[in-house]
Amino acid sequence: MSAVAVDAPVGAGTGARGSSNGALLALARFEARRLLTRVPVVVAFVAYAAWIVWHTPGSWDGHPALQEADRDTQAMPMLVGLAVLVSANFAALRPVRHGTEQHLGVLAMPAWRRTAAHALSVVPAALLTAVCVGGQFTWEALKPGAVGHGSPAELAAGPLVVLAAGTIGVLVASLVRSPVAAPLLVVPLLYLLVLGSGSGGADGVSWLAPVVVQSGGDALPSGLLGRPAAWHALYLAGIALCAAFLALLRAGGRNVAVRTGVALTLALAVAGGVLQARGAQPSPELTAARERAVSDPALRCTERGRSTYCAFPEWAPRVGVWAGVVDRVQALAGGTARERRLVVGQRIGAADLVSDAAVPPRSEPGRVTVGTAWGGNRVPEFSSAVAAVLVTGSEKAGGELCDGRMVTLMWLSLSWQDDPMDALRRVRLDDSVSGSAIVLSPTEPLSMTEGQTDVVRRLLEKPAGGTGERVKAHWDELTEPGVTTARAAELLGVAGPREADSCE
Amino acid sequence: MRVAAVDLAGAVWRTLPRRVLAAAGALGLLIAAVPAATGAEPTPWQTLTLLRGVALTGALGLAFLLDDPARHLTAPVPVRRPVRQALRVALVAPLAALWWTAALLLVPSASRPPAGAITLEAAVVALLALAGAAAAVRLTEGARPGPAVAAALLLAAVLAPLSLPEDWALFVAPGDPRWAAAHDRWAVLLAGAVVAGAWCGPEPLGRRRWRGAG
Amino acid sequence: MTPTVSASGLSLHYGRTRALDDVSLRLTPGVTGLLGPNGAGKTTLLRVLATAVPADRGAFTVLGHDPATSRGRQEVRRRLGYLPQTPGFHPDFTAFEFVDYVAILKELAGRGERHREVRRVLDEVGLRDVRGRRIRKLSGGMRQRVALAAALVGDPGFLVLDEPTVGLDPEQRMRFRELIAGAGEGRTVLLSTHQTEDVAMLCHRVVVMARGAVRFDGTPAELTARAGGRVWSSAGRDPGAKAGWRTGGGSFRNVGDPPAGAELAEPTLEDGYLLVLDGDGDTAEVAA
Repeated sequence: MSAVAVDAPVGAGTGARGSSNGALLALARFEARRLLTRVPVVVAFVAYAAWIVWHTPGSWDGHPALQEADRDTQAMPMLVGLAVLVSANFAALRPVRHGTEQHLGVLAMPAWRRTAAHALSVVPAALLTAVCVGGQFTWEALKPGAVGHGSPAELAAGPLVVLAAGTIGVLVASLVRSPVAAPLLVVPLLYLLVLGSGSGGADGVSWLAPVVVQSGGDALPSGLLGRPAAWHALYLAGIALCAAFLALLRAGGRNVAVRTGVALTLALAVAGGVLQARGAQPSPELTAARERAVSDPALRCTERGRSTYCAFPEWAPRVGVWAGVVDRVQALAGGTARERRLVVGQRIGAADLVSDAAVPPRSEPGRVTVGTAWGGNRVPEFSSAVAAVLVTGSEKAGGELCDGRMVTLMWLSLSWQDDPMDALRRVRLDDSVSGSAIVLSPTEPLSMTEGQTDVVRRLLEKPAGGTGERVKAHWDELTEPGVTTARAAELLGVAGPREADSCE
Repeated sequence: MRVAAVDLAGAVWRTLPRRVLAAAGALGLLIAAVPAATGAEPTPWQTLTLLRGVALTGALGLAFLLDDPARHLTAPVPVRRPVRQALRVALVAPLAALWWTAALLLVPSASRPPAGAITLEAAVVALLALAGAAAAVRLTEGARPGPAVAAALLLAAVLAPLSLPEDWALFVAPGDPRWAAAHDRWAVLLAGAVVAGAWCGPEPLGRRRWRGAG
Repeated sequence: MTPTVSASGLSLHYGRTRALDDVSLRLTPGVTGLLGPNGAGKTTLLRVLATAVPADRGAFTVLGHDPATSRGRQEVRRRLGYLPQTPGFHPDFTAFEFVDYVAILKELAGRGERHREVRRVLDEVGLRDVRGRRIRKLSGGMRQRVALAAALVGDPGFLVLDEPTVGLDPEQRMRFRELIAGAGEGRTVLLSTHQTEDVAMLCHRVVVMARGAVRFDGTPAELTARAGGRVWSSAGRDPGAKAGWRTGGGSFRNVGDPPAGAELAEPTLEDGYLLVLDGDGDTAEVAA
């Protein structure tokens, strides 16, 4: 028995057919909508948004350096990435889990194009992450105290991590047809994330982690960062695309485009990995520039009032607020200190991103150091440094101070501030307002004895005006080396300390 | 009766998601073996983190323990679901204990955290996974709650250390003064997980109850 | 009539089991019923025709396209509606989402147009009111209709239905018959079933399979005619009958070679089917 095949299609409308690519995009949109409404993804995005709203108002005390703030957008997208990885994996495994593979297998769209749609469905999640990253960064940039420049490559890391996580989830689904694989994979990934954020990023291997945070040091001028951020973005993009193309290959997409895609994206990821490893080692020029930035930084100096302010060019907008502090402290001083010309110079302790090195005090008279951070405790700290120079002549002398001049110094530093008592608390290392304590400043800390603390506290509790006149009237004696705390208290009209000065 | 119990245990054993459990167990041991294999000398904090990861891996496997594709078929059989679920747990428990002991022995002894405390943490995570699976079985119609429970567990494992307030800290380092208080909290969680798991055991009957005395 | 589907010499082996043995068929527009006991190869034949598995030997064309080539297979799949025996569902999807999902995979163009088409088929199978409900909340009959809607979406020229009425109550089955009859207008429908009534009521043609081979291929009337003069009533079970059962009226109905002078009864399609299957498997099983 044989049958004759008839060539002409018989009757039967077959409905409107679109192009395969149109169908692919339609499926990608369908899957993207589902992906963005999965519980883990929603929870992750809500947590991310909540974190931004909770974290950003107080970050960097309102004075971010944008070349540092851009990196701050990278950590939380990893959380979104984990949720997207697991959810994209479960979505790609849906036909296996619910037994529809057999049915879907005879539909017009081949399995590998379905996989492609799953890979594409991650893109909106990455775009939403980009929106969050952009929102967080814009918020930082719009703060009145913001300085410096962000890097697009640093900002791209977060969305790219989400993209890579999603495509890796799809790849895992095509390799292991079990829903346990993705959650289990996440555990080692978590270590990788923690390792990456905790590492110094000094070698190429640590840059293989999705996000390398590098924190702990001073904010640096953009030119000294030495982060291979662009290569890292290339590396992440390569991984994301390579995982997607491998998933297509694995799902049966064996055509030239897919094979070429695998080869190209693999090359991209490898190139990114190699180049970022090379970029992670500071070049001799960068090392030299960093050393110069510590020892003899190239600063841009401007005159404000009597004093000169020298800052890294990116920090130039901040000169005004420094000058405001200097002017207020100087206005409280008496004698020649009122008219003294100061040179405020910006300095950093170490020019890498992870060491928290102290800046040595300057011994030249009239020199005041200011760091790259500002806002919060940095303000009374700087104010103390200015007062120390006005009272003792130099930063170095201020650090060695242990007599009654400390009372005048602290009063100058604090009395102009909105809440002097709170400023006193914040400027002291142990957040106390009684007993002896270390007082922070941009360079070496000062030390206050218990008696000096008591006197300063009594002064700050009195109206500032009366004390101000006494300070000006007795300026010379108050700033005389060797003046006792008891004498200073007497001159300023408050009760003296219970015990005589003694500096350990 | 005894023969029946053995038969029942055998039957339940065959329904366990053994490959999932084996995969999770193997990965957990691999993680625990990393310092020994690489010759690294981790700090106590690193070892603790490692063991927490091992515990999480095991718990992810256990999230699949109550997956039962034949759930709707076996709903009305005389051996009630709590018994079958308890049997599943009982069959796995000795193996899990052995596995955890092996993991503890694999990490460098020099930096190993107090065994009792970290075992308590691991037990809580495992029981939370089981309670989550039991809750999913009780509250939904799904026969395989494993993936959803695993995803929830992961999310909780990532979010909890980030979002717990200072007063409720759970993930503290061995030298931390809050170590003892944190483990009191872990013990409370343990009790909570056990109660929740037990409550979720019976077949869901909704608001309807069988009438008549037991 | 010109065949829309023609198959010749289809054979398929699973290990040493012969699932299809030299099956040749021509299908024309209208509903063709496929009858046979369990394990006769019905599902295998449907899966081969639905391009889910390739045959070991033999060839077939659907609406002029040869699924042996990948391009031809693609063309066939664009014109195919398939309702598998155990259609899986994604329980989290709503009925609309699921059919829309299948429509996308069938590469239907344009979002608006596609959604219109999805709504049309859901209306057609009577799920207009529950299309926003999740599949896990739907009853078995409704789920089956969702699966039929998924098969019908995109107006396929060739519809392959594998036991679509299993597990449905009589009223639902009636409704399904209406749907299938409607689908058979202008389309080629291949309907696998255990329900001889379905075939009697719906099909312009019936194919009976057993042990992987075609045992009968003709009209339902021809199949019924096979039993002409071979069905009789008796007071007790007739030992000479191939099958016999007590009817509600108390007398026995026998199928086989009647003894002389037997009281002949009006044959049904099922009687013809039983006689065609004679010797092929457990006839009692299908004579439910």
